[in-house]
Amino acid sequence: MAPESASKKRKAVTRDSPESEEVALSDGGDDFEVALLNGIQVQSGDEIDGDSSDLLEDEEESGEELDSDEVPSDGEDDVRELVKENGFSREPTPEEELNGEGPGANYHITKDANGNLRYVYNEIDPVYDSDDSDAPATTNTIGNIPLSFYDSYPHIGYDINGKKIPRPAKGEALDALLDSIEVPKGWTGLTDPATGKPLELSQQELEVLKRIQMNEVPEEGYDPYPDMVEYFTSKTETMPLSAAPEPKRRFVPSKHETKRVMKIVRAIREGRILPYKPPPEEEEEDLDVKRYDIWANEAPRPDNPTNIPAPKLPPPGYEESYHPPPEYLPDKDEKKVWEEADEEDRDKEFLPTNHDSLRKVPGYARFIKEKFERCLDLYLAPRVRRSKLNIDPESLLPKLPSPEELRPFPTMCATKFLGHEGRVRSLAVAPSGHWLASGGDDGTVRVWELTTGHQVWSVRLEKGEAVNVVRWRPGTEAIVLAAATGEDVYLMSPRIADLNKEVAAKSREIVDAGWGFAANGAKSNTKKEPAAQWVRPGSRLEGDGVLAKFGLRKTVKVISWHRRGEYFATVSPQGQTSAVAIHTLSKHLTQLPFRKLKGLAQSAQFHPSKPIFFVATQRMIRSYDLSKQELLKIIQPGARWISSFDVHPGGDNLIVGSYDKRLLWHDLELSVRPYKTLRYHKKAIRAVKFHQGGLPLFADASDDGSLQIFHGKVVEDMMENASIVPLKVLRGHQVKKELGVLDLDWHPREPWCVSAGADGTCRLWT
Amino acid sequence: MGKIKKKGTSGQAKNFITRTQAVRKLQISLPDFRRLCIFKGIYPREPRNKKKASKSSTHLTTFYYTKDIQYLLHEPLLAKFRDHKALAKKIARSLGRGEVGDAARLEKKGAPKLSLDHIIKERYPTFVDALRDLDDALSLLFLFANLPSTSTVPPKTIALCQRLCLEFEHYLITTNSLRKSFLSIKGIYYQATVQGQDILWLVPYKFVQRVTGDVDFRIMGTFVEFYTTLLGFVNFRLYTSIGLVYPPKFNAKSDEQGGELGAITLEGRGIEEPKQIEAQANRHVNGDMDGEIEARGANEEIQKQIAAVEELPDADFDIQDGNAPGAEEAINDAIDTFETTGDDADILPQPQASGNEEGSLFAPFTFFLCRETPRQPLEFILRSFGCKRIGWEEVLGDGAFTNNESDPTITHQVVDRPPLSSLPEEQVSNTDSDVPATQVVRPGHRIPGRTYVQPQWVWDCINEAKLLRPDLYAPGATLPPHLSPWVKPTKGAYDPTAPLAEQEREGEAEEAEGLDDEEEEDSEVDAEDAVPASKAKPPTDTDMIDDHGMDVAGSESDSDSAQSATSATSSFAGFDDQAASESETETALTQHQRELEAEAAGLTFSESAQITKANGTPVKGILKQIKGDEARKKAARKRREEEEELERRKMMMGRKKRKLVDKMLYSNKAKDEEAEKLRGKRRRIEAGKT
Repeated sequence: MAPESASKKRKAVTRDSPESEEVALSDGGDDFEVALLNGIQVQSGDEIDGDSSDLLEDEEESGEELDSDEVPSDGEDDVRELVKENGFSREPTPEEELNGEGPGANYHITKDANGNLRYVYNEIDPVYDSDDSDAPATTNTIGNIPLSFYDSYPHIGYDINGKKIPRPAKGEALDALLDSIEVPKGWTGLTDPATGKPLELSQQELEVLKRIQMNEVPEEGYDPYPDMVEYFTSKTETMPLSAAPEPKRRFVPSKHETKRVMKIVRAIREGRILPYKPPPEEEEEDLDVKRYDIWANEAPRPDNPTNIPAPKLPPPGYEESYHPPPEYLPDKDEKKVWEEADEEDRDKEFLPTNHDSLRKVPGYARFIKEKFERCLDLYLAPRVRRSKLNIDPESLLPKLPSPEELRPFPTMCATKFLGHEGRVRSLAVAPSGHWLASGGDDGTVRVWELTTGHQVWSVRLEKGEAVNVVRWRPGTEAIVLAAATGEDVYLMSPRIADLNKEVAAKSREIVDAGWGFAANGAKSNTKKEPAAQWVRPGSRLEGDGVLAKFGLRKTVKVISWHRRGEYFATVSPQGQTSAVAIHTLSKHLTQLPFRKLKGLAQSAQFHPSKPIFFVATQRMIRSYDLSKQELLKIIQPGARWISSFDVHPGGDNLIVGSYDKRLLWHDLELSVRPYKTLRYHKKAIRAVKFHQGGLPLFADASDDGSLQIFHGKVVEDMMENASIVPLKVLRGHQVKKELGVLDLDWHPREPWCVSAGADGTCRLWT
Repeated sequence: MGKIKKKGTSGQAKNFITRTQAVRKLQISLPDFRRLCIFKGIYPREPRNKKKASKSSTHLTTFYYTKDIQYLLHEPLLAKFRDHKALAKKIARSLGRGEVGDAARLEKKGAPKLSLDHIIKERYPTFVDALRDLDDALSLLFLFANLPSTSTVPPKTIALCQRLCLEFEHYLITTNSLRKSFLSIKGIYYQATVQGQDILWLVPYKFVQRVTGDVDFRIMGTFVEFYTTLLGFVNFRLYTSIGLVYPPKFNAKSDEQGGELGAITLEGRGIEEPKQIEAQANRHVNGDMDGEIEARGANEEIQKQIAAVEELPDADFDIQDGNAPGAEEAINDAIDTFETTGDDADILPQPQASGNEEGSLFAPFTFFLCRETPRQPLEFILRSFGCKRIGWEEVLGDGAFTNNESDPTITHQVVDRPPLSSLPEEQVSNTDSDVPATQVVRPGHRIPGRTYVQPQWVWDCINEAKLLRPDLYAPGATLPPHLSPWVKPTKGAYDPTAPLAEQEREGEAEEAEGLDDEEEEDSEVDAEDAVPASKAKPPTDTDMIDDHGMDVAGSESDSDSAQSATSATSSFAGFDDQAASESETETALTQHQRELEAEAAGLTFSESAQITKANGTPVKGILKQIKGDEARKKAARKRREEEEELERRKMMMGRKKRKLVDKMLYSNKAKDEEAEKLRGKRRRIEAGKT
């Protein structure tokens, strides 16, 4: 211990004193002298040290110095040596100086670049007592400044002696490569920031690192487990430290312990404490075997309505048999299809196979898979209750009257009426049922015998303009035909050869009755110009049987008679206020009942029994009470453009045909909206017509060249809706220029239907 | 103005919960949730409107009822799952510390035992409910009973499944409640009626099952865990209900020797003297006559006992004596048949007196199963239909009535091997008493006085509930088709048992005849082509003369029929090629049959061939064709008319209804087509035969 403390002291002093002196000296003198005086300082410092320490710490360390008197002498030896060296260095021989290799020389002298002398001191050997044991070996004294400040200098700083530390030669790239190839022992690849040299680890440092790696204490030779120093020895001393006698408890058994032991013993004897027994092992088996009836007191629980029990798998069918009937076996193609199909696409998961006997049946490869899928279904598949429709589809189909009940209806073309050039625009069957009148693009009105197809009468109205509409006056006592071509309406009584004379006379009389009245009426109504002027058509036409004519302002498209034959209405869609005109035959009077109509008038009809008048505009049908002169109802078929409509003979039902391919049945009692909408045509519907003679039939004619015949029975009972049954599609007319069948009419009694086609023919369907 | 309702607070949004939400709510892992759902029988639901129910936009979400999940929150199993999780953590920690002993102790002691008893009671409040749900349970357990043990399927589970299945089978045997069975290509279906509930299950054939990678045995294991518990309770209830002690005695040694059904011994439950009802009392020393008689005596006694057990409706009765007073009472139990006296009275239907006639179908017989027959299903079926004495060869396992094939008491022998025609039927005189005990009958020998049948006979007998003619099922005979007993004949569907004429549409046969005719001719050509090839190659035992003759005839008929066929094809447009090729094999077979018959009749081949050709004369064929043509036209016209009519009626309906009808018509049409196809095939087959 003593030498340590001594050395400490000495170190402390040696470090302090020279520096302080150095500082003091450096103030006055230059570096050179400092270097010269270096040795002296050290020497003197040592002397002071030795003295002062002796003086100061004489009292304290007297005892210690007794033990270790060698040490100071040792120190003195060192000092002496140093002194010797210093002394020697004071008179260096010139040769030695030049060589710098004097045996005891602390330095040698070289010449610097300027030719001046330069003392280069040897490295101080860091022996134990040397002055740099603990201090960091700061070789570069520039302090804590970046090295980059010296980038422009050839040196990188100064060492402790104030000498420039030259920048280490940075080798060529090749050198660096060579260096890197033969890696020296302590090579790290780093640059020491302090020196600027590559940082190489010394052997010692490497060993330290190695020890750290090995999880050892880095200090060399450290013994983590030194032998125990027995401060209190296990050996009995011959002379005990205490003379107290051994206490009694050391050799008398403890009563307390006995008590406690006895307590346990008693408990064991009494059976309160049982010896340890390993727990029984059979418990597990017991769990598997059920030993009680879980349904001992079962009570049925009403099923939750949301609970859906898992559906059971269906029982196997014939085709699953190991030896199925031969018809269940797949043929080659079926087999191929099954094999090629994706597993999920197959309708059956197995292929029916035949095995002659049971021993040939192989195991089923998908067994586990199927059971697994069933398990997945049970817990993963959302269950939905689906009511399976196990109804016979027949029951859903509406109960239809049997076809026998529906008969008769027209089924085939019986007669063709050929003669018109160009389209036949309109036709009508005479109320007697014997004749058919037709008018077409060639400007003629023709009358045919219905059953034979013979033309019995024909008249060319004026200027070859198309005859837009022909209509017979109702009633069989006379035959009066109204026809419209352009703006003119003609009334005629066809001169048919085999016609009853009385009938012909009667018809003439009916038409002519108004002439006188017109003359009278013209007198009274002078202030207002009449809507139309009834005139005689001229001698040529009169000779053909045309009896009267009058002109309206716009083209007349529709004529419809009142049931009694007294009135008829004309519609000319273009004439706004004069679109609808009602004419009185007996007075030759024309009235315009509507001052203003909303929309373009399309058609007009009289109610078959009541004084009601229907007027169809493009979208609506309005019904007016003629007696009260007021609007009754607006019927909304919902069609875009109504082409035609017809009133059921009963008067409560309407059928409406529209250019947007729809046929609408209106029950006027039910609603203003259609009761049924029928869309069976591919093209616009041109005409619709009820059978007026008591048969529950109606038909429509369309531009697709077909007629469709329907059964439409209206029951008197209000509770029952009309039953409509499609009956027949009659095809035969050719479609010309997008136009098919332009008009149709029913025979007044028979289930016969006539149609006018754009192909210039009329056809009778029976 | 009312309060504005917030979105997602009521209705479907509230009633449904997604799976992720459910798992979060229950705070368990997904596998645990899966197990819980399987145990509790909770399944996903399909909301009426998915968009309203889900908050996310993904389509593939599964929804549960919120109430279902709410109800799971109170499940005691949930606590068990959590305990288990805690334990797993503890074990993992001790393993991490390297304390293996601790881990083992924890695993052994601390594992919380899952008890599913309360769930059984909860899911099946009554016993009948449990029986109703037994189909899947039995199918799965029978599968597991036949699986090899792997790491995923522990041997303990397999043993348990086997035991439960055997116990259940024993119950069915004692009460004769097995009704039907069916050999399918998947396995064997069984149907039993227990307390009025029909239970249908499928047992695989005894083969190693192929396990594919996409099968998750953890899920199946969970199901098995649940089903074993269920079947355990069901078995207990069933056994106690007929007065048997529930865990029946299990003979491990016999089981090891392949005893199967014989490994379990049933015990009656008595107070004074627990008499043993041995299902396997008839196990006796081979050939020992005394033992046999004894066994038979025992048998009768047992039979009586069992009969008594069955006849008494009350479950908790005591078997006082072996000779229980049964017979008279049993008769009194039956429903009296009421017969009307007057003519004007209505007749009320009465259930058929379903007695033990069915159950004792095989009672008077002694069966012997040959080595190649499946012993397990046969034993089960025969026993459940009253047979008490079933013997089999020793290789089939323990528990046979006799292992001696030459035992004189055997009445029926089930054989499934092709007969060796070269061996003449030998009159083995082993009726003598001094026959050695372990006499080995050479294979192929037939012991007289014994009925030899193929296994299918047993199945067909029980499905028909009567003994069928055994000669149809004789070894080597071509078996009649094995039909599923569960297919009920429905209107319009094809029924293979009924004659073809009854099922056909009007005029269907004639219609098809023309087409068939052609096909037939063509197929004959094919057959003719095929036959020489097949005959020439294998060196069969047919004579060389035959071969020669056939060649000649074949070439002749070839050219003939080829001509006629070509003419036919030219005249007919709609010719079906594929059907012809299909019936090729059929015709080859029938041809072979014909040849065999001819051989038996002593005709040479060329003669017979001519005869067959002569039968189908071209004149007849043409006539047929004309007839078929007419019929077809007629049918087509009729069909067209019908279609028109239908179309007309459909026009009258609204769009929705029309679609519905179309759908129904479509499915009906598919069914009809299927039936028609089958009929067509059958017609062709029948035509090929005659």
